[in-house]
Amino acid sequence: MFFKKNDIVILLIAIVIATAAIFAYNHFAKQLPVKAEIYHNGTLVKTVSLALGVDKTFSVPEEPQVVFRLHPDGKISFEKSDCPDRICISSGKLGRAGQSAACLPNGLVLKIVPVGKEQKDDVDIVIGH
Amino acid sequence: MDKSEKNIRATKRLVLTALLFGTSLILAFVEGFFPAIPIPGVKLGLSNVVVMYALFFLSKKQAFSIAILKGMFVFATRGPVAGVLSLSGGIVSLVSMIILSIITKRNASYLISSVTGAVFHNVGQFMAVSLIYSFAEIWIYLPWLVILGIAAGAFTSVLLKIILPALDKSGLK
Repeated sequence: MFFKKNDIVILLIAIVIATAAIFAYNHFAKQLPVKAEIYHNGTLVKTVSLALGVDKTFSVPEEPQVVFRLHPDGKISFEKSDCPDRICISSGKLGRAGQSAACLPNGLVLKIVPVGKEQKDDVDIVIGH
Repeated sequence: MDKSEKNIRATKRLVLTALLFGTSLILAFVEGFFPAIPIPGVKLGLSNVVVMYALFFLSKKQAFSIAILKGMFVFATRGPVAGVLSLSGGIVSLVSMIILSIITKRNASYLISSVTGAVFHNVGQFMAVSLIYSFAEIWIYLPWLVILGIAAGAFTSVLLKIILPALDKSGLK
């Protein structure tokens, strides 16, 4: 059997729940102050504060061929990479708590995390101050 | 059944499995022309259609053979991480479709099986990604994965419906 009436109902409910989850997340994550963390093969190698009005590119020593970019709107993205699929670059700009992008061939993961009160001074590089 | 008849059946099964494996590779290649989805590990999963066909009309054994062969092929051509991702996606997807067929007493439609397979293919890849890279945050994209999985599953089930008559005509089934 190709499909049943019930299937459509189940799928629609799943789509509605998923869409609601995305909207709820976008709503709540918007207000959190954030920083970016770069992981190489699972270990944290760099923490970057996301300041407004900064336009800068940088790399981590572990994978110098991968270039990150800080944007003036307080977001960060993968700018250049030697990986074949470029999924990291097509992930675009990240700036909301919980967002993440990865360049799996190079073992790099970029995570946006909320800035906690107790971790205020653990930022490695502060740009634009 | 005498011995020669048995041999013919075994040969037919071998040829068909090889043919399906080849088809899954071609579909994976064709999928490369589609724009990449910017969530690591998430793919359209066109080759899932082949595994589904094997599961529905041949046997679980053949479906698993194709998923494992494909994992090995990806391992050889694109490296160990890609291989593990492909294999975990393929196996989790297959197991989810088998469980669905048990729950529904083999009464699940193509559409719902295909969607289940597609969603769990990505769930399997998420599992591998989050374990290999200690990257639990990836699960925040779960709602996206469900929506994309439903779209991909609907697409592959239509594809299966189109391909089925051709495979029936081949007489290998």
